[in-house]
Amino acid sequence: MTNDRYLTFALGKGRLANKTLELFEEIGITCEEMKDKNSRKLIFVNEDLKLRFFLAKGPDVPTYVEYGAADIGVVGRDTIVEENRNVYEVLDLGFGKCRMCVCGPASAKELLQHHERIRVASKYPNIAKDYFYNKKHQTVDIIKLNGSVELGPLVELSDVIVDIVETGSTLRENGLEVLEEICPLSARMIVNPVSMQMESGRIRELVAKLRTKLEA
Amino acid sequence: MKHMSKKLLHTPEGVRDIYGREYARKLEVQARLHASIQSYGYEDIQTPAFEYFDVFSKEIGTTSSKELYKFFDKENNTLVLRPDFTPSIARCAAKYFMETKEPLRFSYLGNTFTNTTKLQGKLSETTQMGAELINDPSVEADAEMISLVIAALQHTGLKQFQVTIGQVEYFKGLCQEAGLDEETEYDLRDCISAKNYFAAQELLEERNVQEPYKSVLLKTADLFGNMTSLTEARELVRNARSLAAIERLEQLYEVLKLYGVEAYVSFDLGMLSKYNYYTGVIFKAYTYGVGDAIVKGGRYDNLLHQFGKEAPAIGFMAVIDELIEALDSQKVELPLPAEKTTLTYRAQDKADFAQKLAQAQVLRAGGQAVALVAQQD
Repeated sequence: MTNDRYLTFALGKGRLANKTLELFEEIGITCEEMKDKNSRKLIFVNEDLKLRFFLAKGPDVPTYVEYGAADIGVVGRDTIVEENRNVYEVLDLGFGKCRMCVCGPASAKELLQHHERIRVASKYPNIAKDYFYNKKHQTVDIIKLNGSVELGPLVELSDVIVDIVETGSTLRENGLEVLEEICPLSARMIVNPVSMQMESGRIRELVAKLRTKLEA
Repeated sequence: MKHMSKKLLHTPEGVRDIYGREYARKLEVQARLHASIQSYGYEDIQTPAFEYFDVFSKEIGTTSSKELYKFFDKENNTLVLRPDFTPSIARCAAKYFMETKEPLRFSYLGNTFTNTTKLQGKLSETTQMGAELINDPSVEADAEMISLVIAALQHTGLKQFQVTIGQVEYFKGLCQEAGLDEETEYDLRDCISAKNYFAAQELLEERNVQEPYKSVLLKTADLFGNMTSLTEARELVRNARSLAAIERLEQLYEVLKLYGVEAYVSFDLGMLSKYNYYTGVIFKAYTYGVGDAIVKGGRYDNLLHQFGKEAPAIGFMAVIDELIEALDSQKVELPLPAEKTTLTYRAQDKADFAQKLAQAQVLRAGGQAVALVAQQD
């Protein structure tokens, strides 16, 4: 179809975005505008390649992509699973590796052996619910928290938590440990299903280049 | 009191009022789609807005029970607001045309209801228009349906769109050839229809699927594009089922060329949605400006069997609301009905009213829209 259309990328703010741009640079996609840390711009453009980039809060990235406001998104797998949007998950970018785990004090291990009702605090209520209902068949009360989830068991708000674990040092410092692993996580590239068809040439070329680069 | 009446003005989440220019535009789009469908000889059919739950049950419908609006009648039967039309049309065809062997062509228009709170920003009530061709298993029927979609979309003024065609039999044949168990086949289908290449790779490794099947199955996630993707796909398989699927698509392409619409068409053998429902060709129309396909359709040769009639069928459904969103975003202008003429008469002046009324009637008979308005002194 038309080639004057911009291909729009939504990148999860923070480390993920920087890593993504580094990777893109290695396959010849640059966005000089974005390197200016003082810029107050929200959308950055590469006119030569007809690309646009913007930064968004992680959980919003799948939303932008589902509605086609962005053709492509880069975000952690935790967000993709939690949001469960209608998007294509086309590439594992390999960085941002961590695990989604059930954590708590060692004494809580016992509680996970039965189907008894327990309280679970999490930033990821959907992932927690799916894990306990469909995989463990355990009744749970889920308490949605927005940060410092580790506090849950410490102040006896919940028995365990479901959260991302990278090194586990925060857990250890607070006397908590990984009790069960739910799934491995890393940064993923997602694509809007319409864009995948309408811009298939450009998107597939990009995915193929990235895949070769990542496998090398 | 005032506070209370303000509360009454809201509609529930997921439904809304459509009026004025927007509604005029919607009617125009519907009229244009309808004209195209009629020009192919399809007959209009109206089915009830709600039916017994069983008509849309898991074995028949494509909407999960969770997303159906359900309620009870006086005898405690479970009733469902239709989430789409196809099961109703199939029921109708089986009921009134049980013995008919000749092709049946039906077209429908109406509102459908899905209880989806999860998808914020998506409507629960949408207008769908579509067509079903029953009793015709031929490739010509497949081509007619796809050409009709293209003609109808063109008629609305939509320019940049594309119809992607798949064939579920290709993947099914391949799974059979590789000897996959049902669970692996289902899991793999989910990965491939989401174009999730590495999840498919992981799954195939985890389930110990052997080469060459591992690579071949993995490739189906990547088999989309023009005719060369079909040639590529053919070389990957040896089983009769998959080969027949490719042959069918090639024949289809030839007929589409006769219609002169091949420029709008591409192929995607990884398109596997509603897998148990569709039995052959499956297609979706995509365009800029909306996040999802605006037209969905395919061949479902087993559906009428559920209602006791053995009949092949193919159909499509267009979501009018999404199509209008695409037309808006592509800035497609549509002719709207002429502005109405307003005739004013002096209130309480009977003679003036009689005169203006006579004038209005003449204009109305001549096809003009005239509103007669009283003017207060």
